[in-house]
Amino acid sequence: MDTKKLIKDAKARFSHNSAKAYLKEKYSSKLVIAEQGGLWKADAQTIGFLNSFSDETLVVIDTFDNPVKVDRKQLLNSLTETYTNIMTEWNSEWKGLERKR
Amino acid sequence: MERIRKKKIKSRGVLLFAFNSSKYNYAQMAVYTARRIEAFLGLPTTLVTDVESLKTISPDLKSFDKIIEVTPDTSNIREQQTWFNKGRFQAYEHSPYKETLVLDVDYLVNSDILLKTFDLSDTFCCHKNTHMLMHPDAAQEKMSAYSYDTLWATVIMFKKSKRAKQIFETLEMVQENYDHYANIHSFVGGIYRNDYGLTIALKIVNGHTDVPSDYIPWSLVHVGKNTSVYPDQTDLQIPCDGNLFDYNTEFTIMFDHWKKSKVRKEYMTIKDMDFHVMNKELFVGIMNG
Repeated sequence: MDTKKLIKDAKARFSHNSAKAYLKEKYSSKLVIAEQGGLWKADAQTIGFLNSFSDETLVVIDTFDNPVKVDRKQLLNSLTETYTNIMTEWNSEWKGLERKR
Repeated sequence: MERIRKKKIKSRGVLLFAFNSSKYNYAQMAVYTARRIEAFLGLPTTLVTDVESLKTISPDLKSFDKIIEVTPDTSNIREQQTWFNKGRFQAYEHSPYKETLVLDVDYLVNSDILLKTFDLSDTFCCHKNTHMLMHPDAAQEKMSAYSYDTLWATVIMFKKSKRAKQIFETLEMVQENYDHYANIHSFVGGIYRNDYGLTIALKIVNGHTDVPSDYIPWSLVHVGKNTSVYPDQTDLQIPCDGNLFDYNTEFTIMFDHWKKSKVRKEYMTIKDMDFHVMNKELFVGIMNG
């Protein structure tokens, strides 16, 4: 299907609000990872929290509200890597959609 | 020495239920979904269906790992047509896998995100929250004003376990006493909905509390009312093997925004994201490119 022609013929307007919400849904799900017996979201809060300690092991509340004893550095590395990769993808797709009218 | 042949139990797979109605060929939808499952999740699919539906997909049986023929329950009537959606509780006994994903055939697999569900729980999980494409602020559906938020049976992951078995047995009990539960929860009975059945069953098993690990921590994406989906490219069959496809994962979503009796067309594009198509005609349109 020639969707470009379809959009032009329908005089459709790009919905930036819906696109922004779609991107948030899509990439939020990708930020979730399971590790060391817990489920984690690779977000700024969790990464910042793990970074603020120097202990080797730490008990952290996971996404399911369970207190999980973790190897702090290992979890921090995994979350940082996930965060960096996913946020880069998110930014790149968002930039592409931003240009649409 | 006597050799004991161990029965090979496949660890992971997907289970689809498909019974053709007078209006739609659900078995054909299942073929398409099974191929996408193979392409994106790399998992085998077992189809639960009836003889009549099976006849309509005889050239495509290779798309399935296993086919289970059952006699469908025809007692659910919607818009003067039989809606073959009862019997989902049989997923536990029918699944040949230790870890199973049960999907609706109109769920469009576009990524490998569902593989994550196997890491979420040792027993069972399903969607609690939904996101409506082009309606980002849409409220979560409730069974009624006096009841729970609806859980969704569109995607269910379960692992063979006592607890998962209990959930499906409770689902059977709720299905058999659906009007009673409709009365208690103040929703309109008569037409059985798996989503409602699942919501009630899971709440009963959990003693009417919430167990966070029962819920997939991202939203089920729906294509709702006044919304159309157009594939940006057609699925390409790879010439070397008739069963291999290069599937399109980019779609244009078009929405009719009604305001003061006037319609304004809005659109957006999505890629690599799974979504559930409520409108079966839309799903058939996607299937046919």
